[in-house]
Amino acid sequence: MIGSIDTRVRSARTTVEDMDRGAQFVDGVAVASVLAALAAFLVAPAYTVFPLLAFFGVTAYGWKSHQANTAKLLMFLMTASTIVILGLITVYLVLRSLPIFQAMGLDLLLKTNKPLWSTSEGVYSLVPMMWGTLVTTILAMAIAAPLGVAGALFISEIAPSWAREVIKPGIEILAGVPSIVYGFIGYTIINTYMMEEFKLANFGSLFAAALVIGVMSLPTVVSVAEDAIDSVPESMKSGSLAMGATDWQTIKSVTIPASFSGVSAAVLLGVGRAVGETMAVTVMLPHQQVLPDPIYDVFAGTETLTSLIAGQYGIASGDQMSALFAAGVVLFVTVLGLSIGSQLIEAHMERKLGGSQ
Amino acid sequence: MSYETNDLVTEESSLSERVAAAVVGLNVLSVVMGFAAVFQWTEVESEFFGVSLFNLYGLALVATGLAVIALGVVSRAGLVDTTPDRSAGLLTGGLFGLIGVVTGGLFASQTLGFGVFGWLPIALLFGVGFGVVTVLPREDIGSTLPAGALSIVVGALFLLNVVTTEWEWEPEGFSAAFTGPVVGPVLTIFAGLVCAWAAAKAHEGFGTRGRQAGAYLLVGLNAFGMLGVLLLLILFVAGKGWSRMVEGVKFGLFSEPAFWFQMPGLDQYVVFEIPGVWFYWPFTMNGYSLSKDVMNGVLPSIVGTVWLVIGAVLFAVPLGVGAAVFLTEYAEQGGFTRAVEIATNGLWSTPSIVYGLFGYAFLVPRLGNTTSLLAGQLVLGFMLLPLVLITSREAIKTVPKEYRDASAALGVSQWETIKSVVLPAAMPGVITGVILGVGRIAGETAPILLVATGNLQASRGPQVLTNFHFTSSPPFVANPALLDSISALPYKLYATITAGVVSSDPAFGWATALVLLIVVLSFYAVGIVSRIYFRRKLEQ
Repeated sequence: MIGSIDTRVRSARTTVEDMDRGAQFVDGVAVASVLAALAAFLVAPAYTVFPLLAFFGVTAYGWKSHQANTAKLLMFLMTASTIVILGLITVYLVLRSLPIFQAMGLDLLLKTNKPLWSTSEGVYSLVPMMWGTLVTTILAMAIAAPLGVAGALFISEIAPSWAREVIKPGIEILAGVPSIVYGFIGYTIINTYMMEEFKLANFGSLFAAALVIGVMSLPTVVSVAEDAIDSVPESMKSGSLAMGATDWQTIKSVTIPASFSGVSAAVLLGVGRAVGETMAVTVMLPHQQVLPDPIYDVFAGTETLTSLIAGQYGIASGDQMSALFAAGVVLFVTVLGLSIGSQLIEAHMERKLGGSQ
Repeated sequence: MSYETNDLVTEESSLSERVAAAVVGLNVLSVVMGFAAVFQWTEVESEFFGVSLFNLYGLALVATGLAVIALGVVSRAGLVDTTPDRSAGLLTGGLFGLIGVVTGGLFASQTLGFGVFGWLPIALLFGVGFGVVTVLPREDIGSTLPAGALSIVVGALFLLNVVTTEWEWEPEGFSAAFTGPVVGPVLTIFAGLVCAWAAAKAHEGFGTRGRQAGAYLLVGLNAFGMLGVLLLLILFVAGKGWSRMVEGVKFGLFSEPAFWFQMPGLDQYVVFEIPGVWFYWPFTMNGYSLSKDVMNGVLPSIVGTVWLVIGAVLFAVPLGVGAAVFLTEYAEQGGFTRAVEIATNGLWSTPSIVYGLFGYAFLVPRLGNTTSLLAGQLVLGFMLLPLVLITSREAIKTVPKEYRDASAALGVSQWETIKSVVLPAAMPGVITGVILGVGRIAGETAPILLVATGNLQASRGPQVLTNFHFTSSPPFVANPALLDSISALPYKLYATITAGVVSSDPAFGWATALVLLIVVLSFYAVGIVSRIYFRRKLEQ
């Protein structure tokens, strides 16, 4: 461990020694001015302009005299910016949600007895919203996962090639329909439909919102699952067909098991989308921060984490605002976990299928 | 899939095949009619040929149910040439068992009114019964008998007027009631699908070929149903919003004087006129108007969306492409690369509302403490960055290694190779990725809701270009238009709901939705078509 760090430091030192003085100067000043710009933006945004000017000046000089080196440095800084942005998001969300964690403690995430959310009493519990997010996500995935995976199977294995060339881009275009458009349809058509046909007492319900989210995440699930199924090596399928198995037997016993991890990564991605979906639920749900009674009543109107933030950011301040940031932290952690989970699954899949090609 | 038919049994088998095909067709028709009723294209009270819709459902279901059972029995009796397995399989048995549990449970608890200890055993009994009937007999009976029975029972519910349009069921613990007009069609769709599956199996003579036919039928119906629903959705928006969107569109030819001179000698001007085209589209060319004579339009929102996209692209594309080049060309596999990968995927999956919160806490206080165009551009840029990075990286990876080797063999340095070989070759992929990413952020509402929007009643869009000026204090350059709140298309649509415009003037909302759809989907269409084009070119 220490040895490897040692060699790395030594190799870094030799690279630095290899460079001429001018390039070293450019690198040093550029990195220093970027750090200074970042610091200035954090503390006194108006003065960001000075380090920025220094940065532009030194890179312009570097571009003239040591282009290759300067380009590499610039690209390194660009790469590092992704980590910086993710870090800033994490830090700011956590910082702004700290006050409510101090005020409410773990009750923020665990309190289930009334009052759950009351600005006048200063009580904030995210339990109803977490429950709402959980219920909508489960229902939405109950729609999107089986239908989406079946659709992906159809596109990659069953459909004739002309149909595939039409359906695949079609599905991808449909994935681009903005969520607010779904929300608008949900608000004007589906909520009214539910009131009339299901005799709901309130305008908007978890069920209707989940229905819309399910339809919305269908194209995402289809196109990612299709990629996974498509990546199963042709030789595996041919082997099965050569043994006299029918197409369906091949799909069932070779293609699906081989692409299982990729398909589950697709479903996890869909789950992430459903958890983070904001606009459709914001316009469709009636914004009541209560738990449904009884708890499994999916036709009740409650709130999700996302719709809570979008619905209250304008009127919130102090502890309430901090509670909204806490909702953001819960969302962020959940989705980050799902993302890492699906990456692990994908890495597993690559290991599994990579050797057989 | 074509198989030679056995000549000896042509007549019988073709008759049973024809019956099976007819059953599949009739069931698909019932499914379509069921959907038509759910979507309220057909009134549930309507009558066809003097028969009410529900009775029609019932007749179709009973007839197909009987036919499916007959197909199974004929095959079991050996009257037609089929190749059934010994059993329909545990998976099929389990699914039918589940249907049995639900049916039995609902029947015992709701119709007979038993408590938990009453309905639970009955439900299990039904489930086990259904499962046993499916698994134990040979496949031809096992897969047709339960399916046919289900279909007949559902059909009988309609024919005996148990489920009518007035029928209603309010389950305890749910704040909703299930009414006949929804439950009837849904039951029909379900029973129709099960029956069609069994008939498709019978058509191919059961066995492995039969199972393939049954599965393909369901998977195919699902795919087309899915595409159909999504396309209908878009057509629906188009149908609702079109008339308002194009209301008052005028265009025509006019001629204007181009140049003129005074005729020497004569005291007259000679005027040359050139033709021009004028075009006026009120919905997209007007801003907010208070007067009733001028039509309310969405021009400020369109301009706002355009500026948001431009800002985000200017911010994210250089960063994303540069990072992608660094990761693929310079960086070695190691801790740094892995950290960047995790960060990129994390950024990619972060919910948009979280970006909004971040912008609200980080950017808004530093950019004039109010929602502003610049904050919106930066937040959307943060969102666009991972998309650009991931797609550019893929594009750079697909540049063949020979290109780099050939360039290096000519003595060209690494940076020159990247600049003049790798980047040009990867450019199409990068551009496609950017276009697709732009399509996604152009329709985003949640983040700009928190950081950028507010100005709904603007009569014109932000004037960014004309507003730059220098100041004496840092940061020396100021642009009020960049620091002002704006409107954008998705926000405008959101505001029609929150401001109650939907109830007073729904057509305005639909037209806004249509404009937004056109803007976003055309980005996607261009991106996808160009990707297909470049991929084909690469494969040549």
